[in-house]
Amino acid sequence: MNSPTSPALALGVGAACALLPTGLATAWILSAQGRLEAAEASEADTPVAATAAVADEGYCTPELRKVLRRVLTSCGLVGADGAAGRGCQPADAAAVATLAGGDFNALFLPLADRAAIVQFEKNEAALGAEDSALVDKVFAERGGASWFLVVARSSPEGSVAHNRALSEQRARAITDHIHATFPDPELDQQVGLLWLGEEYAQLGADFCGWQRSGGVDACTTDDLNRSAFMAWIDCRL
Amino acid sequence: MPGTPRTWAALLALAAVAGLVFTGTSTYDFAQYLDRQVHGLHCSFLPGLGSVDVTGASGCHVTLMSPYSSVLRQALWGGIPMSLLGMGTFALLLYRALLVLLHRGGAERPALQATFALSLVPVATSIVMGVIALQVLDAACKLCIGTYGASALAFVGALGAMLSAGRPQAALDDDDADPTPAPTGALAPRLGMATVQLGIFNLLPVAAWAAMSPAHERYIGTCGELTDPADKHGVLIDLGGQGTPAVEVLDPLCPSCKGFEQRLDASGQGALLDRQLLLFPLDATCNWMVSSSLHPGACTVSEAMLCAGGDARAVLDWAFERQEEIRTATAEDPEAAARMVLAAFPQVEGCLGKPAVRSKLNQSLRWAVKNQLPVLTPQLFVDGRRVCDADTDLGLDYTLARMLAPAATEGAP
Repeated sequence: MNSPTSPALALGVGAACALLPTGLATAWILSAQGRLEAAEASEADTPVAATAAVADEGYCTPELRKVLRRVLTSCGLVGADGAAGRGCQPADAAAVATLAGGDFNALFLPLADRAAIVQFEKNEAALGAEDSALVDKVFAERGGASWFLVVARSSPEGSVAHNRALSEQRARAITDHIHATFPDPELDQQVGLLWLGEEYAQLGADFCGWQRSGGVDACTTDDLNRSAFMAWIDCRL
Repeated sequence: MPGTPRTWAALLALAAVAGLVFTGTSTYDFAQYLDRQVHGLHCSFLPGLGSVDVTGASGCHVTLMSPYSSVLRQALWGGIPMSLLGMGTFALLLYRALLVLLHRGGAERPALQATFALSLVPVATSIVMGVIALQVLDAACKLCIGTYGASALAFVGALGAMLSAGRPQAALDDDDADPTPAPTGALAPRLGMATVQLGIFNLLPVAAWAAMSPAHERYIGTCGELTDPADKHGVLIDLGGQGTPAVEVLDPLCPSCKGFEQRLDASGQGALLDRQLLLFPLDATCNWMVSSSLHPGACTVSEAMLCAGGDARAVLDWAFERQEEIRTATAEDPEAAARMVLAAFPQVEGCLGKPAVRSKLNQSLRWAVKNQLPVLTPQLFVDGRRVCDADTDLGLDYTLARMLAPAATEGAP
């Protein structure tokens, strides 16, 4: 028996087969359309990716922020007074920080992994090769930080006026090196200078364990204070 | 040839159903993305039975997001999926197999020859797509492999039906003896009819797809713009091209970025862009905006690109080729990426890892901060306007064609 398929049956089977992908595709597209409309209706609930922003680490306590804001404002970094990069002298620093020297230093203790101390020779303000390498290393490890603080000091030998000038020269030596090595038109708005001379917030021996130049054995308090402390600060103001 | 046309037609029907299941699942996954959201894929040899893959790293994902998964992408958002055409073709093969099964004496040899010719369509397509998947995409997609297998099986079924046709039925079926050979007819009209059927079976779903697809044009240009595009620190890398200014935000070890670059190049519209690259490695060793390293080694490779100067593109292409290898090696040994980069590009020694390039990479990340970019890759800005994330994969060709249209019009005489 060789009976051909009836045209009606063939047509029906053909229509069913042809409409199968069409029907499925239509259903799936309408479903997507429905989800799209639902998503638009509840757009506020849609999760969005985080926006790129500078860092704001946990050590940025209200106290540190307050001091930082005062220092940066008074030293000409923040605001539109045209005094960017002016820096803070010892009297300014003590006044704006409104903290005892020990408390001022304690604010920076959480920065032990971020900060470094460049130790200068007695009565010198020139960077050696080891010092320059340390500055480069610390400055390049910026991460998401917004502010780079350089806090220069001097040991008590010599007159107060001489030590003020010497600590300023040390702070300037660091920033001059940074300017030369990392050219950036916005650098002056990022680097804050404080020179404290011998008068305020001298470093104690507990800073010997910090990253520093000058050798393991050169760690008397005089060695530590012939220095410039530098660190990126990961705080938003 | 052993067996009867009906036996082989049963095999053909089985293969066609399998092909419908595989291509249907692919089409379903494709259609999911028309809602502009992120979805898992049914990447399995047993669609529907395995768990949905949500990693975005499977071969099915690479294939689906590739420029080869659909056609007419500039005319329609996402284009017409190749798998939809596969559904139409397998549906036709199923129809023709059912006709043989319903025809008690088998079918005419010319009709079976036409069916065999039709079975060559999925086979040829499978060969082309398989070569693309392995050679170009370097991806093994289980649904695709299932489709290739169904195509091969359909070919065997159609071939068997054709070769077994015309034999005396009596020799094959004692219970239903009929000495009359299957009737014959002219082949050309049957081939013509098969071609018409192929057109109908494919045009119907394509027309439905095109007519019913959601409108995506209204989203173009609504996803933000660059607020401070000036490159004061020289961190943008020139990728060449002439035309409309564009900034790509990429991570050299991000699989999505690799796929995005492939789509952009394949679209032909990359040549209409004056392309610049912002490096945004999603690697916590240099990027403070990510809590963990999604792509270990990306910071090192990014530094290498900044060190390489005019060879930055070569470093990027190299990194795209070895993404997984670099990521895996660096996850185990943080120095591995540097060793691999230096072995491939010794000229960057003396620059890689040094403070100057690390500072420059940091400035690259800060460019993203200044422009308040989302922390994700890839991103594309055309003439300062951000291409929506949902438009960077399947809808890229469609979106770029419209974003570039004003520029093209302005350039016209």
